[in-house]
Amino acid sequence: MSTHTITVTVNGVAHTQEVEARLTLADLLRERLDLTATHLGCEHGVCGACTVVVDGHAARSCTTLAVQADGAEIRTLEGVAEGEELHPVQQAFWEKHGMQCGFCTPGIVMSLVELLERDPGPSERAIAAVLGGHLCRCTGYVKIREAAEEAVRLAAQGRSRGEAS
Amino acid sequence: MTGVFGAPLKRKEDPRLLRGNGRYLADLKRHGMLAAVIVRSPHPHARIRSVDASGAREDLRTVAVLTAADLPELPPLPCIDAEETTRPFNQPVMAADKVRYVGEPVAVVVAEDRYVAEDVAELVVVDYEPLPAVADAERAMEPGAPIVHEDTNVCDTLEYKIGDPDAAFESAPHVLSERFTTQRYAGMPMETRGAIAEWDPRTETITLTSSTQVPNSVKRDVCESLKLPESRVRVLVPDVGGAFGVKIQTYPEEILLCFLARRLGRPLKWVEDRWEHMVASTHGREQFHDVEVAYDGDGRVLAIRDRCVTNTGAYLQRLTLVEPFIGVSMLTGPYDITDFEATAHVVMTNKAPMNPFRGVGHVQAAFTMERIMDTIAFELELDPADVRLRNMIAAEDLPRPRGLGNVLAGEIIYDSGDYAECLRRALALSGYEEFRAEQDEQRRRGRLLGIGIGAFVEETGLGPYEMGSVRLEPSGQVVVHTGACTSGQGHLTTLAQIAADTLAVDPADVDVRYGDTDLVRWGVGTYASRTAAIGGTAIRNAAVVVRERALQVAAALLEADPSDLELSGGRVAIVGSPGGPSVNLGEIAAAVAPGRHLPEGIDSYGVEATDVFHPPTNTFAYGVHVSKVEVDAATGIVTLLEHHVVNDSGTVINPLILDGQVQGGVALGVGGALLEEVVYDDDAQPRNPNFMDYLMPADRNVPEITVEHMAIATPHNPDGIKGGGEGGAVGAPAAIANAVADAIAPGRVTATPITPARVFAAMVEAGVIEPEAARA
Repeated sequence: MSTHTITVTVNGVAHTQEVEARLTLADLLRERLDLTATHLGCEHGVCGACTVVVDGHAARSCTTLAVQADGAEIRTLEGVAEGEELHPVQQAFWEKHGMQCGFCTPGIVMSLVELLERDPGPSERAIAAVLGGHLCRCTGYVKIREAAEEAVRLAAQGRSRGEAS
Repeated sequence: MTGVFGAPLKRKEDPRLLRGNGRYLADLKRHGMLAAVIVRSPHPHARIRSVDASGAREDLRTVAVLTAADLPELPPLPCIDAEETTRPFNQPVMAADKVRYVGEPVAVVVAEDRYVAEDVAELVVVDYEPLPAVADAERAMEPGAPIVHEDTNVCDTLEYKIGDPDAAFESAPHVLSERFTTQRYAGMPMETRGAIAEWDPRTETITLTSSTQVPNSVKRDVCESLKLPESRVRVLVPDVGGAFGVKIQTYPEEILLCFLARRLGRPLKWVEDRWEHMVASTHGREQFHDVEVAYDGDGRVLAIRDRCVTNTGAYLQRLTLVEPFIGVSMLTGPYDITDFEATAHVVMTNKAPMNPFRGVGHVQAAFTMERIMDTIAFELELDPADVRLRNMIAAEDLPRPRGLGNVLAGEIIYDSGDYAECLRRALALSGYEEFRAEQDEQRRRGRLLGIGIGAFVEETGLGPYEMGSVRLEPSGQVVVHTGACTSGQGHLTTLAQIAADTLAVDPADVDVRYGDTDLVRWGVGTYASRTAAIGGTAIRNAAVVVRERALQVAAALLEADPSDLELSGGRVAIVGSPGGPSVNLGEIAAAVAPGRHLPEGIDSYGVEATDVFHPPTNTFAYGVHVSKVEVDAATGIVTLLEHHVVNDSGTVINPLILDGQVQGGVALGVGGALLEEVVYDDDAQPRNPNFMDYLMPADRNVPEITVEHMAIATPHNPDGIKGGGEGGAVGAPAAIANAVADAIAPGRVTATPITPARVFAAMVEAGVIEPEAARA
């Protein structure tokens, strides 16, 4: 099987890899780069656990091929917190008990991180549109919704603190 | 520490998981690790004429191929709740002569990575002679049906009888008959199953890392299967991404991996993909109840006869009989019904095997009983809440033996609570009366609104035992070992709260360790809403001993009497002398560490204790759900508007976590009520083994869920905990079904999932709508 040389930047670090065309982006991240926060729940693009941010857009890494990501800037859950400080979305999931087993959580956090970057004051509908792309078997979504709302609040608080300083 | 037990503490496990530092099975690597892929039967029922693995073996990328012919004689997988009458239709670890469901393992292929292993697996040629298959349980019971095993497909028939139902039926003013059907659905965790097996030639030990709920059981099965003594098998459990009962037993793959790891001398990893999970991990529920109910003009139930049929699939699993056991023995729920008779047939078919999952048996029982209650109310034109209140066991009549039992759980004795008060609180919480008024108003405007009640009693806190150890370390740390095995329930927090409460420390200083059979020799695991009640009690008991011991050592160090000492904030001081001499728990641990003289009057090292708690019997949690729905008359689509729960899980350790358990359970119940079904065709071929076609509840399907707790302590353990992991899943389908029936009355709801097609058909049949109305 033919291989391709690709370069991807993941959480700010450039990686050059020889890959088969069939290698998924998820397996590149998980198996080659040992970035295992990105999880595989269905491998057919439904559950959303594998969601990462590719060039600023939330994407399913299980149905994206690694070769398609050649040259892309990719962000995964490992790159979201700033040192010791959790990202507002992470903090909100902790505060509101928005997670139980934690398997689907990385994908949901990445989708919300991307949402808040493109729309800092999202409507309830916009949040629902994002959460609608993820399956969670543990929480029943009630506390995920609360966490998403809290994340919007914490992010706004963080921005106003940033502006004040 | 005061104020810790019962407090809504944020979870200790979350910051790690939120940073991406979870370590689930698929995330783990071992040096030199290979990938295993299972070759599975595409046929529901076939004779295996031959397995030709030569093509796969000749491929240079293949490390190994294992077929049944390469295995020594291994015992079939155990079923621990079989009765003497149960036919031994157990599962072999690999099919040799015959396959009995789509997904059954027929070979294992090992290669350097998963992609290659899947390539090579396609080179294994199995020559099958397809046999007629049977998917439907009633068909399987008929003469001439394809036989899955030998002689008969009825693997057992369980009989239950209390009182004199015949006499009650003879004199009953009213009798109703109905079939209530619950479909096959499944726990469906977001993380599929997986395992890594390693052989260590130095210690001649197998280490199996598995995404299981029951590491000690898996260890025992591996020891027995491969004839290894206890010290030569160690089972580890990493982070588990949901389990819900699906990971409650040893599966064939775990045995096969251990066998291969030893033979190859290299670590092996196997992880299911979602298709494999949906065809080859256990399902649950599929069961119907043909009931006859005798009742009087006030709506009091006089007697019930139940004929229950469970489609248990192709093989007995570890706890296969729990679905029928509980489905009939808990049928009467919170109601005072003393004349009862049930026959439960356990029937084999060519579907995947069943085993318990979240709410086992209780879901079908509650759906059946609660539909009975609403049917009686409808027939007599009474309010469904009033009919329940007339039938409920009174609080002063508890404890109440039900006269029934089963092989695992023993006699059913409802221990404590107040069912009627629970119902009244649920009515108030949901605004039941106000909704009734609004419902009439809206119905006049053509909107079909409905409200439904789902009451249940649930066996929780199942034995037989759980182990907990507590020890103090010189750093001041409290180390807890538990046999409980978390898959998202927050045990690292709640169990720490118990130890912290006893030892007056901050929960942050309590480190809960689990998931290692070398650490916890007599662990059992997490299922049956047992961890807080049984695992938590073991930790409480051990911590109490550690506390006594710490006070003794402190007394020696402070030259005081233990009864003059108090422990608070991790420090022991003399009562009533603030600022006086004191020692902290770390200093106490250091004072009795080996390598120094023990304090006067202390004659052994360490501050630690282990308890193996055997509860005297189960506890019985209960709850009442109230659901509000709207039905679209044009499409039959059901929209949930609100869902309310009043629950009694006994004493609450952490309300934040318990609310999450209840809400998550309700969502699973929403799936069961409206969306989910593992569908097979008549020839037992799976029709929807993927997330496009199997409808998991998503955010938009689950309404707001309010939760309140009765928190009435059970007498069966010192903290009074009943258990709260499953009730959400039990009450929801019953409440939702009743709400839909209420909305489309007199349309009938007798089966789940309550799909738009079923609702539409029920509305047409009852004349609620004209079929043409939808097309207009």
